[in-house]
Amino acid sequence: MNQVLLVRYGEIHLKGLNRPFFERKLLDNIRAALAGLDAAVRFDQGRIFVEGVAAEHVEEACLRLTRVFGVHSISPALAVEKEYTAVAAAAESVMEASMKEGGRTFKCFCRRADKTFPMDSQQIDRELGHDMLERFPELRVDVREPQIKLCVEIRDRAFVYAREIMGAGGMPTGTAGRAMLLISGGIDSPVAGYMMARRGIELSAIHFYSYPYTSERARDKVVKLTELLARYAGPVKLHLVPFTEIQLAIYDRCPPKETTILMRRLMMRIAERVAEADGARALVTGEALGQVASQTLESLCVTDDAADMPVFRPLIAFDKDDIVNVAKKIGTFETSILPYEDCCTVFVPAHPVTRPSVAGLRASEAAVDFSEMIEKARAEAEVLEVN
Amino acid sequence: MIYLDNSATTRTLDAAADAARTYMTTRFFNPSAAYSAAAETEKAVEAARARLAFALDAKPEEIVYTSGATESNNAAISGALKAMRGKGRLIVGATEHPSAYEVVKAYSRQGYDVVEAPVDSTGAVDLAALSTLLTEDTRLVSVMQVNNEVGAVNDCAAIYRAVKAAAPEAVVHTDGVQGFLKVPFDAKDCDFYALSAHKFHGPKGVGALYVKTGVRFAGGQAGGGQEKDRRSGTTNTPGIMGMDAAVADYLAHLEEYRKHMMACKLRLAKNLSGIRDVLINGPKPAQGAPHILNVSILGVRGEVMLHALEAREVFVSTGSACSAHKKGKNRILTAMGVTGARQEGALRLSLCPFNTLEEMDAAAAIIAEQAAFLRKYKRR
Repeated sequence: MNQVLLVRYGEIHLKGLNRPFFERKLLDNIRAALAGLDAAVRFDQGRIFVEGVAAEHVEEACLRLTRVFGVHSISPALAVEKEYTAVAAAAESVMEASMKEGGRTFKCFCRRADKTFPMDSQQIDRELGHDMLERFPELRVDVREPQIKLCVEIRDRAFVYAREIMGAGGMPTGTAGRAMLLISGGIDSPVAGYMMARRGIELSAIHFYSYPYTSERARDKVVKLTELLARYAGPVKLHLVPFTEIQLAIYDRCPPKETTILMRRLMMRIAERVAEADGARALVTGEALGQVASQTLESLCVTDDAADMPVFRPLIAFDKDDIVNVAKKIGTFETSILPYEDCCTVFVPAHPVTRPSVAGLRASEAAVDFSEMIEKARAEAEVLEVN
Repeated sequence: MIYLDNSATTRTLDAAADAARTYMTTRFFNPSAAYSAAAETEKAVEAARARLAFALDAKPEEIVYTSGATESNNAAISGALKAMRGKGRLIVGATEHPSAYEVVKAYSRQGYDVVEAPVDSTGAVDLAALSTLLTEDTRLVSVMQVNNEVGAVNDCAAIYRAVKAAAPEAVVHTDGVQGFLKVPFDAKDCDFYALSAHKFHGPKGVGALYVKTGVRFAGGQAGGGQEKDRRSGTTNTPGIMGMDAAVADYLAHLEEYRKHMMACKLRLAKNLSGIRDVLINGPKPAQGAPHILNVSILGVRGEVMLHALEAREVFVSTGSACSAHKKGKNRILTAMGVTGARQEGALRLSLCPFNTLEEMDAAAAIIAEQAAFLRKYKRR
């Protein structure tokens, strides 16, 4: 009896001739996610098989697999010879484990991919059901809503399992090109990054800080959030850009009501240049329509105007509650709510403009020559490879 | 570096670090062991206990060594209540440190009637208001000696008298973490007293609890029965001997240290008062503890100022380090009626005997300069 993890994938099945490209990428990502667990990962007939993981690391392996985009679900299974007595023995041990979790009703569900196996699916179901009832008298059959779904797959070997753990879904990371995430340290931006990565995007990230007015801890918090994101998105190149000089110039020389929106335009400009150098083709932000003054439709138009690249805002139609729920699910929430000042809260106007015009903001921005400051900020940026 | 965050922690005295090292490397014996080398270590610990008792005007057997303030506060409160029959009223000062405040508050879920003693605008417990809260069934009153954020000094003697007059069965716990050695205190004015070594140049991870003779106490962790069965666990000799060295140093310079810190604090207060829109929170500087000054620099958020000062190597805090990771309002300042911009701009500057008057001038000058600069960028 061998412990195997059966990994199913989702949307890739819809692909046509380029399907092998997606499958290869998914396989690579799974291998990377399971690094250090001695896993042998193999692909066969629309399923991925993970073998060689020690029994005490199976749960860890499952957890890591739930973070690999493109994985639909995972089942820890026992692999045995294609022989009924071996299947029944494996079923007994799987059933025992499931009953320890409290299950008392069951049904058998067999799929026979190898049609040379002498019994057909219904026969196997009937025999196995009978054997289980005999072995575990406290069990009952419930074909509608069983607590335990005892599954058998007859392939090159027979696989027996009862658990199906849902994966993260989406497309394999690295199949959709690279984008640059603007990450603030709040709740929204890590979620936005997660959602884009889930569609196969590889991420770079850029964070603006206001040294010395934001702390070392605020910076560490962003690095930590990027690490949490990297558990799903794979390695993230994080750019930490000093922004104080530009902020002070804005406050010294531009209309007070427009400081926030001007800051955002300049962040877009810097992010776009860094993105180009990183080979990223789009910007990603955590903005949600109407959440704050800088996220009204007018403000978003003005922000967009400063960038030539497409700006993806996966959270645009999300309520804050929905965003918080995803943040909790992916484990970034607790870090996001650590109370440190960030560059956007250090200096805030009391009454920011909520309906800015593109022409007006272009004029305000043109009144100051920011080009040298932008170059300097870029040059002084710190770059981290976050895993 | 100008370090003005001594209420968060202090630099360990060289003599204290040396003593700790000695009891880790050469005199490392377990004082409970039977051979004579261990007996010597035990003697050293008992001498340290006697010195600590002397500092509080207490008896050596009334001192229980602990791991520090949080354990002492927890043990005093839960140990006193466990030893009593029946539930009743518990009174906790509104500005107590979380390690006492949260412990008392949690008893409301166990059927106790927990009430808060309000403080006046200086941060000291309002004695008249406390008196009206005292009932015959009051079981415990927990009030700190010195407030850790604003330096207000409570009248512990009067509080003790008032409690015993109204509720003779009640016990009085005094959190002395910020007050010990810095502000005079006599153990006759409390039933329990908590202190922590790292607030007066001793090492971290060691402290003590004073338990008055005759007061029933069922606290402390169970086990091998150390500390006369009041706190089991292998005796922390490096910590205790390190703390002892710090106590010895303080006792040798007691008046000098207190006077010097007060002189520094008054100088700092005077310098800062010269800056436009700087307000002092808490008691008048001459009336508070000698080492804590809380000011509001209106128009500059505390955290922004803190980091601006950090860049100039001046270290301060915006409040208790134990609350710095919590979001939202400052409970202590709110209880004193300090709210809004005044609360947002609050900074705590806390001193030690080794700060200098020159440092007070330099720090104030840097604060003045940063205030002028940062105010240009305030909300407008």
